[in-house]
Amino acid sequence: MSFDYVVPGSLAEASDLLARGGPDAHALAGGTALVLMYKQGLLRPEKVVGLGRLAELRGVRRLEDGGLWLGAMTTLRAIETHPEVAAHSPALALAFASVATVRIRNQATLGGNLAHADPAQDPPPMLVALDATVEIARGLTRRTLPLGELFRDIFETALVPGELIVGIRLPPLAPRARATYLKFLPRTEDDYATVSVAVRLAVAEDGRCSDARVCLGSVGSTPVRARAVERALVGHALTDHAISDAAALVAQEIDPLGDARGSAAYKREMAAVCTRRAIATLRDA
Amino acid sequence: MRFEHTVRIAASRAVLWELLMDIPRVAACVPGAEAVTALDDDAYRGALRVQVGPIRVRLEGQLAIVERDEEAGTASMRLDAADRGSASGVAATVALSLGRAGDLTELRLETEARILGRLGELGQPIIKRKADQIIGEFARNLERAAAARP
Repeated sequence: MSFDYVVPGSLAEASDLLARGGPDAHALAGGTALVLMYKQGLLRPEKVVGLGRLAELRGVRRLEDGGLWLGAMTTLRAIETHPEVAAHSPALALAFASVATVRIRNQATLGGNLAHADPAQDPPPMLVALDATVEIARGLTRRTLPLGELFRDIFETALVPGELIVGIRLPPLAPRARATYLKFLPRTEDDYATVSVAVRLAVAEDGRCSDARVCLGSVGSTPVRARAVERALVGHALTDHAISDAAALVAQEIDPLGDARGSAAYKREMAAVCTRRAIATLRDA
Repeated sequence: MRFEHTVRIAASRAVLWELLMDIPRVAACVPGAEAVTALDDDAYRGALRVQVGPIRVRLEGQLAIVERDEEAGTASMRLDAADRGSASGVAATVALSLGRAGDLTELRLETEARILGRLGELGQPIIKRKADQIIGEFARNLERAAAARP
C-alpha cells in the first residue's frame, strides 16, 4: 500500500487538502484506529493528512463560564491527567482513563476518538452525559453540534469531507450535580466495554432528582441517550425501588449487538443492572 | 454466519413472487446494487456497493437461482462475489419463502454467508448490522415497487 503523506501547518490548509482529496483522503490524528484499519487492508487511502502540527487543536482550558474546552489533538492521557479535568468532574477523567492502556492513551487523541465513531468507546457516553458540544471547522467556517448529533452509525459521523473536529466544550457542572462512569468489563482491564453507562445526576434538598442524563456505550450503533430513564428519574425521590424501575426502562432504548463480549440479551440485562448501579452510586455519594 | 430476516410487505403473494423472480427489477430495490444483467434464465451478474463508515467495498460477482417453486412460494439462490480492492469475498446461499400474514405477505430470507478475506476483520456484529440495514431498506423499496405494479 502506498499513499501521499502531508503534514499541513494550518487548520485551513488541512481542511482544504481533505476537501479536495475526497473520500480517499484521511485525516490522521493519533492513528490508533486508522493505522489498524490500514494494516487490516480495510482502508486504502490515497492521501493521509497528518494533523500533528496543528498546535491550536491541542490543550485543555478552563472557560470563563467555568466550563471546559478540550482540544481535538489532545491525547486521551493528557486529558485524563489534567488537573482542570479532575476539577470539572472526576468521572470525566475516569472515562478517559478507561480507554485501553496507557500506551494507547498516550497516542490516541480526543478528536480521533470522536471521529472514529466506534460505539464501544469510553469518552463519548460521558461527554454526551455532560452536555458536550463539538466544534467543527471547514476552512474558515465553523459550526457546533451537540455531541450526540455527531454520531450517525457505526464508524459514521455527521462530518462532511474537509471538516475537522476542533474541540469539545463542556458547560460547568451545576452545584448539586455529580457524574459517574461505569464500565462493565468481564474479561480484561484493557478491553472494550461489554456495556458502559455515564450518568449525571442532581438531587435537590428535598431528596428529589432535579436533573438526570444517562448515556450508554456498546449498546447500539452510536452512544445511546436513555431519555425514558431520565424522564422517570426527574422529579422523583430516589428510592431503591424508583431507581430500579427507571433503570429497567433502558432495555427499550437500546439495540445491542451480540459479540464476543456477550450476547445481545445479556448486554440488555447488564445495561439495566449497570444503569441502576450508576444511579444508586450517585445518590449515595 | 447465518442471518434470518422476516419482513411483511403490503402486496399480494403473486405480485411479490413475480417481482422477486425478476432479478434485474428486484435488484433495483437492493440499496447499492448496480449493473445487474442476465447471463441466462437463472444466472445473473452484477455488483453491490457497501459502505461502513470510511470502509467502502464493491462486491462484484454472480447470482444463480438454484431452485424455484412458485406453488410453494420458495426459492433458493447462490451468490458469489468478490471485492478486488480489499481482496475479500462473499459466498452465500439465500433461501427465500413467501407466506401469508393477515392481509400482508410475509417474506422470509435465510442466508448462510461466508465472508472471506480482509472484510472478515470487520467482525460479525458489524456485518450483521449492515445486512439488517440493507434488508430493511430492500423491504421498503420492494413494497413500493410492488405497489407501483398494475
